[in-house]
Amino acid sequence: MIEVKHVSKEFVSPKKYPGLKGAVKGLFSNEKVVKKAVDDISFSIADGEIVGYIGSNGAGKSTTIKMMTGILKPTQGQCLINGIDPSRARKDNAQNIGVVFGQRTQLWWDLPLSESFTILKEVYNVSDEEYEERMKFLNEVLGLPEFFSSPVRTLSLGQRMRADLGAALLHNPKVLYLDEPTIGLDLVVKDNIRKAIKIINEKYQTTVILTTHDIGDIEELCSRIIIIDEGKKIYDGSLEELKDTYGTRRKVSMEVKKQEKLKGLNLAEKLGASHEECRMEFDEENKILSVTFDKHKLQVPQVMNAVMEVTEVKDIQIQETELAEIVKEIYNHGIDGKAV
Amino acid sequence: MKKKLRIYFPFASNELKRQMAYKGAFYLFIFISLFSSFIQYFLWMAIYGSSGDGILGNLTRNEMIVYVFMVYVTSSMVMITISDWVSTDVVEGMIAMNLIKPMDYRISLISRALGQAIYRFLVPGVFIWIGLEIYKVKVLGMQVTGIVNILLYLLSCIMSFLICVLFDFCFGMVAFFTTYIFGMLMAKEALISFLTGQLIPLSFFPGAVQKVFDFLPFSSMVYTPVMIYLGKYNQSQLGFVLARQAAWVVILYVLGSIIWKQVTKRLVVLGG
Repeated sequence: MIEVKHVSKEFVSPKKYPGLKGAVKGLFSNEKVVKKAVDDISFSIADGEIVGYIGSNGAGKSTTIKMMTGILKPTQGQCLINGIDPSRARKDNAQNIGVVFGQRTQLWWDLPLSESFTILKEVYNVSDEEYEERMKFLNEVLGLPEFFSSPVRTLSLGQRMRADLGAALLHNPKVLYLDEPTIGLDLVVKDNIRKAIKIINEKYQTTVILTTHDIGDIEELCSRIIIIDEGKKIYDGSLEELKDTYGTRRKVSMEVKKQEKLKGLNLAEKLGASHEECRMEFDEENKILSVTFDKHKLQVPQVMNAVMEVTEVKDIQIQETELAEIVKEIYNHGIDGKAV
Repeated sequence: MKKKLRIYFPFASNELKRQMAYKGAFYLFIFISLFSSFIQYFLWMAIYGSSGDGILGNLTRNEMIVYVFMVYVTSSMVMITISDWVSTDVVEGMIAMNLIKPMDYRISLISRALGQAIYRFLVPGVFIWIGLEIYKVKVLGMQVTGIVNILLYLLSCIMSFLICVLFDFCFGMVAFFTTYIFGMLMAKEALISFLTGQLIPLSFFPGAVQKVFDFLPFSSMVYTPVMIYLGKYNQSQLGFVLARQAAWVVILYVLGSIIWKQVTKRLVVLGG
């Protein structure tokens, strides 16, 4: 059980001025700039959930994760991870969590991977039997043996990420924090990592909190997502709900035979919808008519019929609004804009 | 306690392995620092030669030879710059990776430093030490250093090591505020080689200045163990300098804990 209660984090930094003159001025001025990276965020996560924590760059995702792991102390508010406050009892909390920061490694750079695992075994106080059992499982899921004796600095990014994930899971943590675990990985490795996360979640009931910019990660893994923007929480709910509420648009693209016949056709009027609810676009070159409409207002057959009454149609494509589109819109306009 | 040792021991042994992985850099380090020891040696010989006195700053010519090389052996062993590691961790944002583990950052640094100290004790420390003893007996006609002095010297070295790393940890905390500490590191090295007596034995300074040095932790870093090795202290003085070393270990430990608490409160992790 993870509880985050009204957490805020402010960063104070000295004010910088532009140019050489500014640099000199900066030497003597004592002005400070306060930046609120996280602003009064609350949520709670049950055991065994996989939660996607998303937001644009600089929205405060990583800062929140760092507060939940005990690296940073909140300016206000409190996090409780299974009843432990990480800002007070960092080491106790660290025993129960695993963390992967996609852009960094917790492995020992100059030493073979196996050495890192032996150190972590001691650091987390993992018994020999447990270690054997965990390694067997991790080898199976992540395929570590092929590079287990190579120095970490020689690993490819994909190998390193698998190794890092393995290192974070060695002590069977109750909570796993993944900060962009698939950043910079190719499709196959991405897929493997996702599968591994899923298996671990199912087998050990590990709670997973995942920040990512990869919509695929969210669609495949997360049952619930939390969206933050400029440090504030703007959405918290299931993936379906988000799609339902904000992904109300559908797009039908039809390749028509005779484009002249489309002239004067006004679908919105014909079907009794407003112009906002039903929009037409025509691509002259490929003779493709695209109709974007509100799926609560109109049905696909209705639209198709209306077009086919006028002209013959060669090919039809129907598209749901993609999650990526929804998320992009939310990042651009905030949740209230509802411009989707 | 046993559990703690098990946790931090790998840090020491890994640092040993890491040192061996970068052999080139290490041999270069030995060569350069030995080189400067020989410069000092020839300089002092010239000074003793041109001054009519047999004793300068309470040290005879032969004792000065021992001093110069024992300072080298001692300082290469105990003076481990962990502030450099702290600075790297801060600049690269790796400090976060240390904080997600159930361990004490400072103790893990000290364990790493211990690994390095052991390595430096083995290569080249012991060999130069033995070489020096042979030279002392065969060429200078001095007596072999007694076992009691050697044991007291090693005890003092252990405390010196702790004083050095605990002090350097406090110094390294500056990196959290300024990010880069390279310039300050250079300044520190220069100042410390002066204040610890690496450059000139502290007994050369005027009495008033020596009194000031007595109140600073630096004299306990290198000067004290080397003087113990030379047998320059009588029994009561010996008790006092060892107690003073122990006191500095405690003071610097507490000071480091306080600073660390403040630092983690306002910690900023660089690089996302």
